[in-house]
Amino acid sequence: MSNVIELYNVSKKYPKATRFSLKDITFSIKQGDKIGIFGPNGAGKTTLMSILCRILPQTTGTVDYKHNDASVDSMQFLHSIGYVPQDFSFYPELTPYQNLMYFGTLYSIPKGELKKRINELMTVLGLSHVTHKKIHTFSGGMKRRVNLAIGIINNPAILFLDEPTVGVDVQSKNAIMAYLEELNANGTTVVYTSHHMNEAEHFCNTIVLIDQGELIVQGEIKEVIEQHNASDLQALFLQLTGSEYRD
Amino acid sequence: MRKLGASIYKEILLLINDKVGLLLMFMMPILLVFIITIVQDSTFKLVNDNNIELIVVNKDKGALGDSLISILEQSGTYKITTKNELTEAQIEKTLLSDNQLLALVLPESFTESLTAKAKSISSEMLSEFEIIEVTEQKSVGAIPIALYYDPVLQDNFRMSVSHSIRSFLSVLENRLMIEQLYVEMGFDEIPTSMEKKFFDNQTTIEQISANSSSGDVIPTSTQHNVPAWSIFAMFFMVISLGGNIVKERLSGSFVRLQTIPSSFSLVLISKMFTYLFVALLQLTVIFSLGKFVFPLIGLPSLDLPSNILGLILVSALSAFAAISFAMLVGTFAKTVEQANGFGAVTIIILAAIGGVWVPTFVMPAYMQTIGNISPLHWCLEGYYTLFLKGGDWYLLSPTILFLIFFILACQILIYSKLKIQNYI
Repeated sequence: MSNVIELYNVSKKYPKATRFSLKDITFSIKQGDKIGIFGPNGAGKTTLMSILCRILPQTTGTVDYKHNDASVDSMQFLHSIGYVPQDFSFYPELTPYQNLMYFGTLYSIPKGELKKRINELMTVLGLSHVTHKKIHTFSGGMKRRVNLAIGIINNPAILFLDEPTVGVDVQSKNAIMAYLEELNANGTTVVYTSHHMNEAEHFCNTIVLIDQGELIVQGEIKEVIEQHNASDLQALFLQLTGSEYRD
Repeated sequence: MRKLGASIYKEILLLINDKVGLLLMFMMPILLVFIITIVQDSTFKLVNDNNIELIVVNKDKGALGDSLISILEQSGTYKITTKNELTEAQIEKTLLSDNQLLALVLPESFTESLTAKAKSISSEMLSEFEIIEVTEQKSVGAIPIALYYDPVLQDNFRMSVSHSIRSFLSVLENRLMIEQLYVEMGFDEIPTSMEKKFFDNQTTIEQISANSSSGDVIPTSTQHNVPAWSIFAMFFMVISLGGNIVKERLSGSFVRLQTIPSSFSLVLISKMFTYLFVALLQLTVIFSLGKFVFPLIGLPSLDLPSNILGLILVSALSAFAAISFAMLVGTFAKTVEQANGFGAVTIIILAAIGGVWVPTFVMPAYMQTIGNISPLHWCLEGYYTLFLKGGDWYLLSPTILFLIFFILACQILIYSKLKIQNYI
């Protein structure tokens, strides 16, 4: 599989900060990957995700976006990605339909196609019965699914998810993870952060582990676990980052 | 254009769902403009339509007390109730308990004192002219008239009444003095023709409003209040628009927009368009109330200015100033509560120093200087120029220049903050 994003010596230092949030990060994301970015609180996961999504510029280093092996500019790149932030980044006073119509229009999706896509997403994510109800009345799990629906309204080639299942019940978590599997099976590259190690171990094929802004380990999840003689991902995580509190 | 349309539609939906914001932007100013105009209009009527209630306690043993009461009644300013039987204690009790504001007490010696004073002055005058010889000069004391008042009465109102009674008393004193001059010179009374000449043809004061237009604009409580409270209403959009921006930023919607192939400026422009429409709707609603509803409840009708182009320009600039201020507050506030609290308090302060609550000319000089920093002051100046002074472009130019400067300053600050936050 060809690389869709390549990072070379990426570092990030926020204005007025005394230390780098990310230091010399180099790795690549292959097309069709299910890549998990892990690390303790404050490790730099969100900063890394923000740089990958072009939300933040890196201080040094390069991030090369590719489509069919050719580098593309950031605006072209934005057309091919979806982003699902940890926060409920939508308008809770509006309905899922109104939110999806708004964000879908910003992607320049034709109106007819957009309506069809909204119906499809609402059905798949089990929200068809509340398509026209205001989101602020929804449960946490339903809001998470709306958040996901907005992130994938443009049928992205690369999907970035920042803790997509935090604070939801087992049913919603199951539905979300199942849909992510389905998307990946249809060719979407998934970049994902989570603190749920079991969920991540089952879902991801590749991991990037960072701590204090530095890349600790990366590679195929099974190989990395075997190389470090760990029983599972959680044990590997504790082995490499320690068991002390980080916040 | 489709993206802009979708953004504007989203803003309209958010606005429709913001019931508190809508109430603050429409109901509050409508109520304020009604209440303040009614209050000011009734104050105007109180002074001008024989509505100042005055209790008169006439203890005078002579006739001049009745003459003064007659002059006061004929003036058309006072509604007089004579209660000669009241004692000092009862007067105070009446004022405190019976919702009465003023009581005038004429003492027993009123006529005697006035006559003695007139006689003394006229004798002295004739002696000065060497027409008669005065052998003995009697000293005449002050005439003790008392004006009791309810302590809630404001100083300026009380002083106005006091000066008014003083001027009517002067009329009586002058008349008495002339009569005494005639008597001293051996006439029985003033010749009718002389009395007529003296008391008729009083100098009148014609009140002319300084106005650059050829039309006759009469300043009324409506002409003052409708523009003033319309401006206040527009600037109060800070609660809705400012809060809306903070909510979008805190929820992460702004961050999500950064990952979408669309310009962030589109978001800002759509907000400006939507709230420009809201501001112009506010103006239309409040001006329409002034024009069509006020006359139905006995208030003066709003006369629109002749300079319609000036009205449109000042309204648009005022609206953009209000929008820019609201966006600035929304961009810099860290929480919705901060935006709402700071925004509301700031607008109230800017309105107060800008002359919305009370005219700036009654403020001390340093407050008038401070008031110049308030955008509401300049909006109000623009509207007063249009509604009360004829709408001359030269007089409008300071307003136009300040508002353009204010809008640009706010927009630059908004842009800089969003740039620092990496949204733009």
